[in-house]
Amino acid sequence: MKHTKKWLVAAAIATSAAVALTGCTGSTTDGGGSSSDDITVGFSVYDMQYEFFQAMAAGTKEAVEANGWTYKEHDEKSDENEMVTGAIALLDSGIDVLIISPFKPDALGSIVDHAKELGVPVIVDDIGGGGTDYDAIVVSDNKDGGVQAAGYIDETVQALGLTSKKVVSITCQPDAVYAAQRNIGYEDEITSLGYEVATSLSGDSDATKAYTIMKDALAKDPDVSAVFACNDDMAVAASNAIADAGKVPGKDIVVVGYNGDPSALEAIQAGTVNATVAQDPNGMGKLTVELAKTLLDGGEITFGNDENREVYNPVTLVTSDNVADFVS
Amino acid sequence: MTSADVQKRTPLTALAERARGFHLGTFWDRWGITAVLAILVIAAIVIQPGVDRGAFLNILNITSILKEASYLGIVACAMTFAVINGTFDLSVGGQLALTSIVSLLAFGIGGSGLAIAAAIFTGIACGLVNSLLVTAMRVPPFVATLGMLFVFRGIGTLLTADGPAKLPYADFGSVFGQIGKISFGGIPLVFVIMVAFFLVGFVILRRTGLGRQVIAFGSSPAAAKFSGISAVKIRFFVFVFLGLSVGIAALTYVTRIGTADGAAQDGFELRVITAAVLGGASLQGGKGSLVGTFSAVMLVTVLNDLFRDLQVDSAWQRIILGCVLVVALAIDGLRTKFPGFSVFRRVTALRDQRVARAG
Repeated sequence: MKHTKKWLVAAAIATSAAVALTGCTGSTTDGGGSSSDDITVGFSVYDMQYEFFQAMAAGTKEAVEANGWTYKEHDEKSDENEMVTGAIALLDSGIDVLIISPFKPDALGSIVDHAKELGVPVIVDDIGGGGTDYDAIVVSDNKDGGVQAAGYIDETVQALGLTSKKVVSITCQPDAVYAAQRNIGYEDEITSLGYEVATSLSGDSDATKAYTIMKDALAKDPDVSAVFACNDDMAVAASNAIADAGKVPGKDIVVVGYNGDPSALEAIQAGTVNATVAQDPNGMGKLTVELAKTLLDGGEITFGNDENREVYNPVTLVTSDNVADFVS
Repeated sequence: MTSADVQKRTPLTALAERARGFHLGTFWDRWGITAVLAILVIAAIVIQPGVDRGAFLNILNITSILKEASYLGIVACAMTFAVINGTFDLSVGGQLALTSIVSLLAFGIGGSGLAIAAAIFTGIACGLVNSLLVTAMRVPPFVATLGMLFVFRGIGTLLTADGPAKLPYADFGSVFGQIGKISFGGIPLVFVIMVAFFLVGFVILRRTGLGRQVIAFGSSPAAAKFSGISAVKIRFFVFVFLGLSVGIAALTYVTRIGTADGAAQDGFELRVITAAVLGGASLQGGKGSLVGTFSAVMLVTVLNDLFRDLQVDSAWQRIILGCVLVVALAIDGLRTKFPGFSVFRRVTALRDQRVARAG
């Protein structure tokens, strides 16, 4: 083939690829610039590869479509630049309300700024608000979750006959301020129940780091009786570290995670993790849409915490007793 | 032999005669990527017509695209110099993260003026470190900049050990915060900065001796050395220029995002090199185009904007972007590979081949 033809063909492929893009639209429609009653809700999500956020998006979409509104989604793919550019693009496309689950809450500044200019209300779903002027933020009652975990650990330690009063606490990434409440609630409650927090370190929400932390904690205090991790990935990793150190997780050391991820639910059924605290991301998504409706109808929101405009969504402790309800 | 006879037979006049006709090969050389950009923009207008909210030509959308392109464009301009010179800098991602962090921290200490100065200063400092490694210590650029990538990111992570550096929401109205925000009738300030940077780069590359030396050195280091061009001086300039570009780019980036930590903009260096190469710079050195790089940066940004608006799956986004790069390079590769005698090949082959035969 003559090489001129080769690049003509290449150009043709590129153009047809561009045309094919028009067929690649998802199930959502373009945000309308029309002034009709059709409300469009834009949802910008942390990263759709995580089950937690998939459930959140599903809940949000369900509630939006139940109201007869249009749903438009944007995936931040764990990148703050994508978060800012994409959320601003959503705003520019003419949405009526923005719901955002921010990858980096600190980057919300220019988004909220732009939303205020366009007169679009902003509701934050989990993670954090970055100190900006959002209209409301929906979070799980994380502190209560930590308290519930501590209470459960106390019960289980006594039931298993473990003697040590030393426990481990693995926290999430430092800028997840609401997740931090889990370990704060846990550490406060467990110390008031007479235990000592021997190790409290940040696993940065990462399983590999949590594994190392648990391994080192066991090397320092082999007689630890329980560990509470800020998320399930870290709890499962801690459980593995305990097993690799020659102990039996779930029996020699009580392991409690947070989030209710499938990996933890499996581990609870297998007995290597004792409990987790299930958030309800689907319910959180629905709650944000409820709040959106209140705002668009001109109503006022009742906050759980007026200063930070927080609205709480309840959490449930999941143990081997009720794990069957959550596996579906 | 009269001077008239001599004139008739030189390749230059033959070239001048042929230049009057349209030559596809040289058109692609200079304006290829720009043409693809134009086609893409037309396609975008067709897909999202009108000027209302949601349309491609809507002023908010255009402003957003121009803002997004700026930090990539500024660094890509300097990276074009590096690629033409036969080298590249893999540490620009780390430099961007570190410069953004330092700039934000400086804002907390001394306000807008200090923040701007800190960004430029840190960028140049990073460039200096790279250039000293490459020139004084003779470390190969690939290795030196790869190592410094980790060092810069590491320093950035240390500085943000207590949490990411951040521009407080209340300060978005400050001079510093406004850099990323203000626009003149839809054209953002950061885009004006990018265009100005490209103009300066163009003047240096094509109109000064320094620029010619950069190209000559990239084209053939041995020949350049024997012509007396100082390799040290050229490489020094290239890396410091890159550092300066990152300093300016950081200002356009961090005033829009408002936060930075050690892991910011992972993979940035590859995107920058992709833009430079897509714009026509050859990784073997000696060849490159600032017009091409500018068009390539706009092309990638417009493509990303379209992907977002059409809700294209991220897997497909990556595939398409990869294909664009491969197709562009394939066209370039095919052109240089097949000089020939057929009419079609003659039309699209390198102009030099024809000049050589005509002379």
